[in-house]
Amino acid sequence: MNIDPMKPEVNHELARKVKRDRILLNNPVVMQGLGLAPLVVAAINVKNATMLAVAVALLLTPTRVIAAFLSRFSYFRFRGLTYAVTSAAVYVGVIWVMEHLFTSADITLLGLYLPLLVADPIILKRYERPQRERIHTAFRKGIITTAGYVLAMYVTAVLREFLGTGAVLGHTLLKTPLFPMAQLPSGGFIVLALMIAVWRGGVNIVKRQMGLGAKQQA
Amino acid sequence: MTEVLKALGPFFFYAVVGVFAQNAVFTRALGVSRIVKLADDPEVDSLTFGVLLCSVQLISAPMAYFVNLWLSEQWYSTYVRPLVLVMCSAVAFFIVLLLVVLLFRSSGAKDIVAVLPMATFNTCILGTLLIGTTRHFDLLQTMGFALGSGVGYVLAVLVVREGARKLDNEDVPATFRGLPVTLLYIGILALAIYGFTGHLISF
Repeated sequence: MNIDPMKPEVNHELARKVKRDRILLNNPVVMQGLGLAPLVVAAINVKNATMLAVAVALLLTPTRVIAAFLSRFSYFRFRGLTYAVTSAAVYVGVIWVMEHLFTSADITLLGLYLPLLVADPIILKRYERPQRERIHTAFRKGIITTAGYVLAMYVTAVLREFLGTGAVLGHTLLKTPLFPMAQLPSGGFIVLALMIAVWRGGVNIVKRQMGLGAKQQA
Repeated sequence: MTEVLKALGPFFFYAVVGVFAQNAVFTRALGVSRIVKLADDPEVDSLTFGVLLCSVQLISAPMAYFVNLWLSEQWYSTYVRPLVLVMCSAVAFFIVLLLVVLLFRSSGAKDIVAVLPMATFNTCILGTLLIGTTRHFDLLQTMGFALGSGVGYVLAVLVVREGARKLDNEDVPATFRGLPVTLLYIGILALAIYGFTGHLISF
C-alpha cells in the first residue's frame, strides 16, 4: 500500500477499510491462510464446495457468537477450550441440518473434512487474540468471514474441477483435462498457491488505486 | 522376546506410516494453516510446539480409543464424535498443562503454556483421532499412528520452516512471496510423498 507521510490520517483510514474487507482485500484464505485443509483436499468440485460452504455458514458465525458470549463467564485464559467445545457442540446441529439438505452418500464424499471444520483455524482463530470480542462484532465478523471463505472456496473448487476434469458443475467443457493433478492434494496445494498469488497481485493493484484515489480526495 | 516384538510390530509399523506414507500435512493437509503461520512466526519455538503436540496426541489417543468402543455402538455417534474427541483432547490439554506447570514452575512455563492451546486445538490432533476412530484401529495401532502422526507433523513444521526461510529472497516474484510460495513448496513435497506411496489416500 502507498504510504504518504504527509497524510497519516488518510493512510490510517485506508488501512482500516482494507482490514474490514474480509471478502476481497483481506480475504481470510488469501491473506491469512486460514481454513486451507478443506480447500486443498475436499474442495475438488463445486458440489463438494457447496456442502462445505453450507457447513461453514452454519458453523462459523454461531460458534463465534456463542463463544464470545461464553468467554465473558469462563476463565479467559482457557478461551481456546471455550471456542473448541462450542464449535463441536454447534456441529451437532450442523450435521443434523446437513443430513436433511444432502444425501448421506454426498456427505461421505467430504470424509473427515466435515467434522474437521470443528478445529479449523477459520472457525477457532479468534481465540488467539487476547481481547474479548463483543457479541455484535462477533456476529458481523462471522458473517463477512464466512462470505470471504465461501468465495475463496468456490474459486478454488471451480479451478480444480475445470483443470482436473475439464468440467464445471459436471458439464464437460474439455475432453482432455489440462492439469489432472489438480484433483490430488498435491495439485490442490499448487492450484491454491497460484490462485492466492494472482488474487494478491490483484489486491495490490486495487490498494494502489485506492491509495491514489484517497490522496486525490485529501 | 519374539512375542513382545511381534506385539509391538503394529505399533512401529503404524508409527512409521504416520510419519512418512500418511504424513498428516503432505497427504491430508491436516494442520497446514497452522504450519504456514508457524513458518512466519519466529516467536513460537518449533521444538516446544512439537513436544506439546506429540504429548497431547499420545495422551488423547488412548482416551479416544476407549471412548469410541462405547460411542461406535450409539446411533448418534456421527453427531457427537467431534465433541467427544475435542473433550478427549481437552483432558489431554489439562494433563499436559499440569505437567508443564510442575516441571517448569520456576522458568519458562508461561511461554510454553501460551503455545499449548495452538498445539491442542488443531486439525492435526482432531484429524488423527478421527482417523483412528473411524478406521477402527486397535489400541497399539492407535498409539503408533498417534505418535507417528505427531512426529510427522513436527518434521513437516521443520521442513516447511526451513523451506520458507530459504524461499524468502529477492529471486521470488513479489506476489509469490510468503504464503503462495510456501504452499507451492508443500505441494511439491506432497507430490513426492504421493510418488512414494503410489496411491491416493482416501479421506
